[in-house]
Amino acid sequence: MGPIVIPCSNYKGKGQDILAASSSNNQIQILNAERRIDLSSHIVKVFLTLKVENVGTSPASEIFLAFPPSQADQLALVKAQAAIGKKKKKSYVHLDVNPTQLPDAPNGTKYFSISLLNPLSSGETATLEVLYILTHSLEPFPAEISQLESQLVYFRDSALILSPYHIKQQTTFIKTPSTKVESFTRVEPTKFAGRELKYGPYEDRPPYSFSPVIVHLENNSPFAVVEELLREVEISHWGNLQITEHYKLVHAGARHKGVFSRVDYQSRASVKGASSFKHLLASLPPRVHSVYYRDEIGNISSSHLRTDYRKSELEIEPRYPLFGGWKATFVIGYGLPLEDFLFESPDGKRYLNFSFGCPLAQTVVNKLTIKVVLPEGSKDPSAAVPYPVEQHLETKYSYLDVVGRTVLVLEKKNVVPEHITPFQVYYTFKPIFMLAEPLMLASVYFLFFMACVAYLQIDISIRK
Amino acid sequence: MGSQAAAITSPVPVAWYPTLAILMLAVGLIVTASFFIYEATSSRRNRSLAKELTTGALASFFLGFGTLFLLLASGVYV
Repeated sequence: MGPIVIPCSNYKGKGQDILAASSSNNQIQILNAERRIDLSSHIVKVFLTLKVENVGTSPASEIFLAFPPSQADQLALVKAQAAIGKKKKKSYVHLDVNPTQLPDAPNGTKYFSISLLNPLSSGETATLEVLYILTHSLEPFPAEISQLESQLVYFRDSALILSPYHIKQQTTFIKTPSTKVESFTRVEPTKFAGRELKYGPYEDRPPYSFSPVIVHLENNSPFAVVEELLREVEISHWGNLQITEHYKLVHAGARHKGVFSRVDYQSRASVKGASSFKHLLASLPPRVHSVYYRDEIGNISSSHLRTDYRKSELEIEPRYPLFGGWKATFVIGYGLPLEDFLFESPDGKRYLNFSFGCPLAQTVVNKLTIKVVLPEGSKDPSAAVPYPVEQHLETKYSYLDVVGRTVLVLEKKNVVPEHITPFQVYYTFKPIFMLAEPLMLASVYFLFFMACVAYLQIDISIRK
Repeated sequence: MGSQAAAITSPVPVAWYPTLAILMLAVGLIVTASFFIYEATSSRRNRSLAKELTTGALASFFLGFGTLFLLLASGVYV
């Protein structure tokens, strides 16, 4: 499997499916690649530092990243930045990363292309830093554990970084949450010390080299996964933003088998449910009011709200601790002042500036739905979201509604805490429509008074 | 974008909602009382439709707005 020679033709077109976009395999060479994989929580974060060199003749404006198909399905986020300057004056510039396709991809490899700011001319080098996040990548093994056991997981990856380019030197560091690692595949040179497993350095590997390794390690961090999260944001122009969040939480680690002994759980002597968790922290915006936490049974009183002028923290404790495979369904609701989130843009449209993502810390959301309910009389809704999401419109009938409120629905799968960024929803609204609500109430009262007048005028006596 | 854009607030300050609710409902109920007193004290021939309509309209205006501010003050942001 040597380098693939592709005819030299450069079709430049960002964001489109590029056919034969480059003779990239011959043009770019990676001088040094360092990959740091962080396995401290159930969300796998990989930091990749690439020093690329253009050894071809024509300038290159894109660098491709390759992922094996199983990993590509679990990718939640890929971010890249370029380092500019040296040592003390280093600054970082964000680069666009888009999924792409290349012809002749071996074994179904999936690609992402990083668009460079300035094309890399022949002989130049550049340093790129890539962060990508994998979810559901730690497989619990054994798949079922009892209350007293610790949780062990498999992490599958490759000791060699998969890349369409030739890599001169590469090293991979894997950071484990504890010093206990049951086993790991040896691909010399390999070293394990403390909490770090080092694969490398490897010299001169051809493109698409892959050496699968399995690391069996102990990971007792809370595997909190929200299967479905529905966030409803209701805008009222009378001064309030009402948020309602419906959670379906599950513990996605090794399934719990056997009995749950409350005595063992609460005693301090033995290790009890090391991988279970009972607290969850939600970060809410400051100046939040009327916070409630309930489920189908009723209110759950085991929660604490700590407010600050910069943020509010809601610490919730479900009715029972969560062990592997256990689920909890609950609703969190709160109100926010309108002036913190609704603004007027220069072209006269109003927009809501709110944060996309899940407020719970360290959780993966399998399916996130955000519904923005716009007040009655709003027109032309549109959303500006930094990630690709599915959008559609709905109608909701709420208080004092005649024609219904437009609802803009945004859906995204596989959301991690790094996705928490602001997004905007634009719409037009004529302030005169706010009068519709009190006038509707006044007209109902007026009808009542007119009915009284009519009743008092009608003569229904039989006797004259 | 956030620091330069103008924040949109309610046309009526939120702190005024409870006071406005009570004031408007009080005035509305007084006018309602005046409407029914007029109905009760006048006979069918002496009644003037214009007076009934104006009193009714005034009462319903104050009652309508009072109900709105009552809903807003109690947390039902309509």
